[in-house]
Amino acid sequence: MSTHTETTLVPGLRARRARSGRIRGGAAPYIFIAPFYVLYGLFMIVPVVAAIVLSLTEWVGLGAPDFIGIQNYVDLAHDTSFGGALANSAVYTAIAVLIVVPVSLLVAQALNARNLRLRDMFRVAYFVPMVLSPIVIALIYSLIFDRDYGLLNSSLQALFGLPHIDWLGDPTIAKGAIGFVLMWRTVGYLTIFFLAALQNVPGELYEAAALDGAGPVRSFFTVTLPSIRPVTAFVIVTSFISAAQLFDEPYLLTKGGPGEATLSVAMFIYRAAFERQQFGYAAAAGVVLFAIVFIISQGLNRLLGIGRES
Amino acid sequence: MTAFAQTREAAHSAQPSPTRKRRGGAVARRALLYITLIALLLVFIAPLLWALSGSLKRRGDIFSVPPSLIPNPLTFENYVNLLTTQPFAAWFGMSVGTALLATAISVFVCALAGYGFAKFRFRGKRVLFTVMFSSLSIPFAVILVPLFILVTKSGLANPWFSLIVPWVAPAFGIFMMQQFIVQSVPDDIIEAARIDGCSEFGTFWRIVLPLLRPSLGALAVWSFLQSYNSFMWPLVLVSDSNQYTLPLGLNILFASENRSYDLVLAGAVLASIPTILVFILLRKQLLEGLTAGAVKG
Repeated sequence: MSTHTETTLVPGLRARRARSGRIRGGAAPYIFIAPFYVLYGLFMIVPVVAAIVLSLTEWVGLGAPDFIGIQNYVDLAHDTSFGGALANSAVYTAIAVLIVVPVSLLVAQALNARNLRLRDMFRVAYFVPMVLSPIVIALIYSLIFDRDYGLLNSSLQALFGLPHIDWLGDPTIAKGAIGFVLMWRTVGYLTIFFLAALQNVPGELYEAAALDGAGPVRSFFTVTLPSIRPVTAFVIVTSFISAAQLFDEPYLLTKGGPGEATLSVAMFIYRAAFERQQFGYAAAAGVVLFAIVFIISQGLNRLLGIGRES
Repeated sequence: MTAFAQTREAAHSAQPSPTRKRRGGAVARRALLYITLIALLLVFIAPLLWALSGSLKRRGDIFSVPPSLIPNPLTFENYVNLLTTQPFAAWFGMSVGTALLATAISVFVCALAGYGFAKFRFRGKRVLFTVMFSSLSIPFAVILVPLFILVTKSGLANPWFSLIVPWVAPAFGIFMMQQFIVQSVPDDIIEAARIDGCSEFGTFWRIVLPLLRPSLGALAVWSFLQSYNSFMWPLVLVSDSNQYTLPLGLNILFASENRSYDLVLAGAVLASIPTILVFILLRKQLLEGLTAGAVKG
């Protein structure tokens, strides 16, 4: 199930599945998987279908929903607030995929250095943010970023005499601040996947590349990147999906502001349903998010070759 | 990395005293590497240390200028105030209790289904697997509204039921278990148990589960974190402040008019202790468990 924190899908599983599972057990396998599918049906499939039905209605939460066809979608298309939320979420996913993922790979590359002391200590320490609640992290950062008395501004002032910067009050800087907190929370998590993959690259490949006269940069592109492609693909898709549903950071750090400059799609859905009681409209926004995430992650899967036998 | 650095430098070593030069370059690289890693460590740890130190300061000292890391005087008054003026213990119990419940259910359900997928051949397997697989790209916000309606209109608004609903059937858990079972449970053992007259469920319970103990730990930690750290779902669901989970309680404290950041910092520290402890105890299983499928697949 996708959640606001992490979803993980493991590449190569389809190939593995084909090789395993040879036992015939009559009804037994169905009984083993039944509890999952009952819960999954009730709490995932039913809600997805209900979201689609609900998105065609107008409903304030009481009485019977009014069927209004695709009116919600027409309204969404003209809703500048929804358009802005889509654009903001696009920025968050771009930060996640284009900045956080490469940074994680670089960190993993550093941790993969030969004879590194305290490798496990670094790896574990970098992972710690991932076990904390995103709300705890956002709370700490909102105190750090506070314009008037925050740690960041008072440190900058004490060290360099800089004037106070409104980290969370400027539309552009605020998006960057949210992106930074997202990065801080997830880099250590993504790093362990890259590190595990790097440790699995056969050393002979590097020796061969070195014999061919490849320097570190060239062997990174000709040996490392191709060898870790399945994990890279997995990390990119996971990061994309979790950034597309970002909620906690903008909710707590900026309340979507200033104005609606940091409003994410998930926050838009939350506000429509639980602040304005527009349940049908919120459901329609959810269906649009679903469609976009589904299409892009399928596209990424195909582009990056997840599930391809290799 | 260093090996290439050395090879490359060796190629350029037509200059005088190549050995010293090469060693100097390698040492500089090492130094740079450690400086980078330690700087990163500070980036990850400093905000947490600052929060810990702030929680031990008097309210008026938290934002003193210039900032200081050592609380002076050191006080536990924030913790005392938090525990005496807020139902913090109730929030804690709610968070830990529902997370444990969700963990127990999801680990059991995932181990069962993972076993079914890993070891059996049956009709419809491919379709069922694909249906599960596709759920990984469904953002939670998509089902937020219908799931909320389902849970509140079903008359089962008891938080012990409704809070755990999103976490009891995670597709990722099935991937993880299936992967482990393929790797660590040989088919022969299952066949042998059958020949000995063991029932299908008996085989699972007495033969397969014990073999999976380390990976069950990894899945349990992962499940616990999912539920314990969740915010959006309890936010829409719970309105009675005695039934808040920790993230909800902290959010309300923070949003309150006088911005109780002193209490918030103390609460943030207390709320983080269980997950950090569990992580430190089970870090090996968790980190290996998370990456096993991704790397060996």
